[in-house]
Amino acid sequence: MNAAVDRLLRSEREFAVGAGASPLVALAWTVALAGAVHGLALGSYALRGEQALYSALKIPLLLAVSTALCIPSFFVLNTILGLRSDFSAALRGILCSQAVVAVVLASFAPIVLFLFASGLNYRSSLAASGVLFFAASMAGQRTLARHYRPLIAANPRHRAPRALWLLLYWFVTIQLAWVLRPFIGAPDLPPSFFREDAWTNAYVGIANSILGS
Amino acid sequence: MMNVWRAADELLRGRLVSTEQLRAGRLEVRGATLVTIGAVGGAVYGVAMGMFAALRPQHATALQMLANMAKVPLLFLLTLIVAFPSLYTFSALSGSKLHFVETLKLLLVAIAVNLVLLASFAPVTAFFTLSTTSYSFMVLLNTAFFALSGAVSLGVLSRALRAVFEQPAESTASAASPSVASSVAPSAPPNAAPVASPRSEQPAKKPSDTGSRRVFRAWLVIYALVGSQMAWILRPFIGADGLEFALFRPREGSFFRGVIDAIARFFGSA
Repeated sequence: MNAAVDRLLRSEREFAVGAGASPLVALAWTVALAGAVHGLALGSYALRGEQALYSALKIPLLLAVSTALCIPSFFVLNTILGLRSDFSAALRGILCSQAVVAVVLASFAPIVLFLFASGLNYRSSLAASGVLFFAASMAGQRTLARHYRPLIAANPRHRAPRALWLLLYWFVTIQLAWVLRPFIGAPDLPPSFFREDAWTNAYVGIANSILGS
Repeated sequence: MMNVWRAADELLRGRLVSTEQLRAGRLEVRGATLVTIGAVGGAVYGVAMGMFAALRPQHATALQMLANMAKVPLLFLLTLIVAFPSLYTFSALSGSKLHFVETLKLLLVAIAVNLVLLASFAPVTAFFTLSTTSYSFMVLLNTAFFALSGAVSLGVLSRALRAVFEQPAESTASAASPSVASSVAPSAPPNAAPVASPRSEQPAKKPSDTGSRRVFRAWLVIYALVGSQMAWILRPFIGADGLEFALFRPREGSFFRGVIDAIARFFGSA
């Protein structure tokens, strides 16, 4: 397990840059386990086992579902641009980078616990978890860039689907994270899988709070 | 069904219509195949688009999804019917190698690509529909997806036109075919002028690239204007809260007014 994660981070052997079928099972397990570690840490904010369990399920869900929602248009755009022959290599990059995000998130678990233990209040904890998620995504971008470098060198047209991927993925992930809230769990609210107003729109909320209506 | 899938795949890979066919000015693909691909793709997206009406608190109805299955493909087909005569005229004026039926097929190719790409956004639209009560947000999201897939299909069209107008002798000019993004980008602001200009052209004498670009710009303006207004006439596709299901709304206003209103409402009250 440990050795496999190490190879993933270094993009070696089964996780190497290049074409060929993605090691789906290994990647899925990595996202599930590593994501769960981060979720457990996040959900332990108010020392509630139930919330920790929910969050452990929800972090892998967040990564997997947002990827699944964005893959169809990624696939079609790649094909339209005549990049279909490289699709397995591009998909490999996408999936490996998602697994790397999960691993980096897991590696942040001790930091999360440390921050919580140091007495951060709920709002600061939310902000900290957001910052950590952003940092993990940036790390994932490094892996994606590594996979995309030879593709773009061979055909600069690869930039377009990659840009679409980033744009759409972030757009969807922010909304999905909103739907899947709470990850930390406000201490004055009971632990829950979904909030009561889960299925509302994050962007509408942001627009409202910016304009203060 | 399996055949549509395979044909759509071939279409996206650029195998249904090859560059050689375009250079020779004859497209061997059957129009019916393209129409079927477009109809299926449009129906898939139509269902995702109509989910909002099925989930709205008042007057919830699944009829919107059913209506959209026909309306989304119809939007493109009717736009083509209205715009095609002028599109054909402009391309013939510029000395296109494509004849009447071939031109029609080429446009059907672009529409089919557009609708398949649109269908691939259906999961995202469906997800946002499940988690959104704001009607104006859904209007803007759908407008964005239509614009994005439209832009990509225009890129495909632009590349195809370049092949059509390519002179056998001077095929070097377009050897390094730029990406779709770069071929679409410059078309936005300066496209008002060329609509009037093709008349002054001496066909077939000019370098091939200007011919294809001129046709493309004229097509872009005509098609986008007709298409967006057609979308307005065929509304509702999403179904505003508080309104009952109707196949069509009263004829008033315009597409652009509608989008501006949606932006204002999204940032205004909500």
